[in-house]
Amino acid sequence: MKRLYSFLVLALVAITLLPAQAFDPAKKYEVTFGGYGDLEKAYAEVFKSADFKAKYPNITVKFQTADFGGHHTRLTTILAAGEQTNDIEALEVGFIAQFVEAGGLTDLNAAPFKAGVFTKDIVKFAVANATTDSGSLIAMPVDIAPAVLFYREDLAKKAGVKMDALKNWDEYIAALKKLSVGGVYGIEHPSAVQAIPLNGGKGGWFSGGKPLEPKAKFVDALKLVEKVKAAKVDGDLGAWSGPWSQAYLDGKVATAVNGAWFGGTLRTWLSPEPGKWRVAYLPGKIMASLGGTYLSIPQTVPAPRKAAAWEVIKYLTTSPNAQLISFRAIDAFPALTTVYKDPVMDEPVAFYGGQKVRKIFADVALNIPENKVSEYDNLILGIWNGAVTSVVNGKATPEAAYADALKKIRATIE
Amino acid sequence: MTRRALAALPAHLTLAVFGLIFALPFWMVFVLASWPAREVLVFPPHLWFGNGLLENWQQLLARIPFARNYFNSFGIATLSTLGNIFFCTMAGYAFAKYRFKGRDFLYGFVIATMAVPGFLNLIPFYKMMVKFGWINTWLPLVVPGLAGAFGIFLMTQFLTNSIPDELLDAARIDGLTEFGILRRIIFPLAKPGLAVLGVVTFVGSWNNFTGPLVLLPKVESTTLPVALSALNSRVDNNLGALMLGNALTLLPLIIVFVFFSKRIIAGLTAGAVKQ
Amino acid sequence: MANPAARRQKIAPYVFIAPFFVLFLVFGLYPIGYSIWSSFFSMKLIGNAAPEFVGFRNYVNVLTVDPFFYQALLNTVILLFTGSLLQHFIALPLAILVNGRFVRGRELFKTAYFLPYITSTVSVVVIFGTLFDTNYGLVNWLIGLFSDGEKIRWLQEAPGIKAVLSVILNWKFVGFNMVVYLAGLQAIPTELYEAAEVDGATKLRQHLSITLPLLLPVIFFAVSLSIIGGMQIFEEPYILTGGYDNMGGDANSGLTAAYYLMFTAFKAYRLGKGSAIAWILFLVIIALNAVNRRVTRHLENR
Repeated sequence: MKRLYSFLVLALVAITLLPAQAFDPAKKYEVTFGGYGDLEKAYAEVFKSADFKAKYPNITVKFQTADFGGHHTRLTTILAAGEQTNDIEALEVGFIAQFVEAGGLTDLNAAPFKAGVFTKDIVKFAVANATTDSGSLIAMPVDIAPAVLFYREDLAKKAGVKMDALKNWDEYIAALKKLSVGGVYGIEHPSAVQAIPLNGGKGGWFSGGKPLEPKAKFVDALKLVEKVKAAKVDGDLGAWSGPWSQAYLDGKVATAVNGAWFGGTLRTWLSPEPGKWRVAYLPGKIMASLGGTYLSIPQTVPAPRKAAAWEVIKYLTTSPNAQLISFRAIDAFPALTTVYKDPVMDEPVAFYGGQKVRKIFADVALNIPENKVSEYDNLILGIWNGAVTSVVNGKATPEAAYADALKKIRATIE
Repeated sequence: MTRRALAALPAHLTLAVFGLIFALPFWMVFVLASWPAREVLVFPPHLWFGNGLLENWQQLLARIPFARNYFNSFGIATLSTLGNIFFCTMAGYAFAKYRFKGRDFLYGFVIATMAVPGFLNLIPFYKMMVKFGWINTWLPLVVPGLAGAFGIFLMTQFLTNSIPDELLDAARIDGLTEFGILRRIIFPLAKPGLAVLGVVTFVGSWNNFTGPLVLLPKVESTTLPVALSALNSRVDNNLGALMLGNALTLLPLIIVFVFFSKRIIAGLTAGAVKQ
Repeated sequence: MANPAARRQKIAPYVFIAPFFVLFLVFGLYPIGYSIWSSFFSMKLIGNAAPEFVGFRNYVNVLTVDPFFYQALLNTVILLFTGSLLQHFIALPLAILVNGRFVRGRELFKTAYFLPYITSTVSVVVIFGTLFDTNYGLVNWLIGLFSDGEKIRWLQEAPGIKAVLSVILNWKFVGFNMVVYLAGLQAIPTELYEAAEVDGATKLRQHLSITLPLLLPVIFFAVSLSIIGGMQIFEEPYILTGGYDNMGGDANSGLTAAYYLMFTAFKAYRLGKGSAIAWILFLVIIALNAVNRRVTRHLENR
């Protein structure tokens, strides 16, 4: 009994004395990491690197990887149950909004993490997306997806169009018309462009208590879809399907509007032959983001584990070594801006025929506008995609589709 | 050719045409397992085998603890199946052949639990499993479903129609205990029904994704479908290994089905009940 | 009541059914109770410090102002008929064919029909997506041989989505129902058919007057399962139409009740409202099963 008592006292002392739970370089840590898709491949390389091993010889990282949907289902289920997750959990940008509102993730701006020192070097819009109104930072941006125009240089030359300085969408559509000859599709699907005028669909859905404002911005996005459809320049290809992949493999798709990471997909399997593709700014130099990954520490993680988890996150997000390894491994574009000055960013890339594409990615990254995320974003996005489909299918005019979506959103939010 | 065989020809043709349509997608799962990652998503789709099998196999082994995952899937599915065969036959026998107070209500209750959309129940269930200390063990995927409502429904249905009451009365006169009847008479006669239950339980457990995904977070303690989902990525293309994994996931299910299905049709001449 | 054998016979059924109820009390009660409880609160999926009690507001919201619920329910019911119930007209004749006395290669056929049931939904949906592709799919190619009208956009337009989903559901579960019917056919004594044959009844006549009436309880069983499963269809439409972001594709054609329930909880983060949808769906399923029971009783008494 006495021993139990003294043990309790000791435990109590330990708890009160170690609120900071500082990271102890002399102790061994095993940090668990929940991720999806390609992340494990990239980060496993990071943790194998000499630099990481020298800095953190006492940390090993254990992965739990699932596919994209599975990972987020697991994470939300466990957080909804209020139970302990992996020490670090990756989040895709589309899920960030929910957690900004709902909580459940540790505020990294607060002590002992004080992420503020580090976030000044991370692209602004990504930090803003993960920051709550009260100034909490719920996750660190680790990679981003600056949206660009990928195009086939050989096809553009043959059609006699210049793709690298398109002033607006009309010019783009006119170019697509010239490209779409002899079985070539200008673009995979009309809906591939819909999110671009809306900042890639990341944030900006619900502002000042009103969904889909300003109206003109959203109706214009639908009009753009309608125009692309009417121009008959698309392949009507569903992304990640057999015919879609085959069309790229056959060299039948002339342009793609997507995030920087899509270059990795092209390079590794969709169109592996180097020299064919180039990268340009989107028409009218629109700056938008089409994806991105965040790293978070759920609140249910015990404090000592949080400390080690934070060291790992810090390394992945703020060390140029980690950022560049991920970029090379899986084309995850760095969120850390200091890396943009690295000589690597200025190198010609053989896959793009020696074009210095990384400068374009970096420039877009630095200029993506900040957009407010809200707890309704996911809901609105689901309904909005319905509006896009009805315009693509010619079932509704942009005006009508907008009105219908707005009505449904209001009724659902009520 | 005998007249009889000739007369059965249209039936055979019908069965064969349907059979081909039904087996085609299945065939494709195996075909795709043999193509290298880059050539999986192509058009027109492959209908014959490629030369990427070895490459896919090596990639698969490099990415996940395949043998461990296989073992986990197999253990969980086998225990669930054995449990259901035993407990559901027992309960089914009670509902089918006894008259007791509250029977209709209790039976209705069992059926009603099947009609509860349980999608959101995983959240509180997870909470419970943490309290029990069952995370990363087989228990949460085996124990709660040991006497599944589906199996009870199936066995009640089957036993009501295929076991004559006189047989049970005779057994009682012979001095068999209630459990003795279950063991000596019910189980042997329930084989065609048990075979269906066995297959369905095994397949259901084997293909379960969300359960092990959430309840078995460690890659070495999880099941095949969950471990394989890690290969689904967009830049680092593992499609070949993924397809091979899918095909290998299916193999035991075919074996289990063939094993059980011999008992589903005992043949009309050897009909279940001789009256 | 001194006879111990009689007493044992009285107690035995309770002992035999006890495992289900014990397991239900331990593992089922809390989750179900939690789900009912949360349907009366304004609960989010995460971050509920003090959820607000709202009475029946979630239910009223779903049943009155929600713009998707009735459509999702209608979609589900349509798919119930075209997908889950239609297949019984294929499965039963198939079972009888396979069960025929002179069928060679019975095991082979049986296995072939059962294959779809054991194939994972993801593989199934990917393969069907390829078959029904607008420009490259086998189905449109076959149609093109006989007509030169516009190509059908199976996966992009509302009627096509429902058609493909129905095909998938039929294809996937016919083998299961066939196996259930096969087991049922085993319980019909061969002598009945032999007697009918002596009387000179045709095969069709035999099946109409012997097989069908005697199989009625099995048909009731299989149809009940189809209703329970069909009304909770989620995975197939979810994967085919591209997940929560698309809410069932064009005109929400593939949005089923369970799909919308999951969307509400896991995408819109409204656990309370999602739970309310679950319990409304539960009542609908119970009602449909009651109808099934009445129809079966009526047929039995004929």
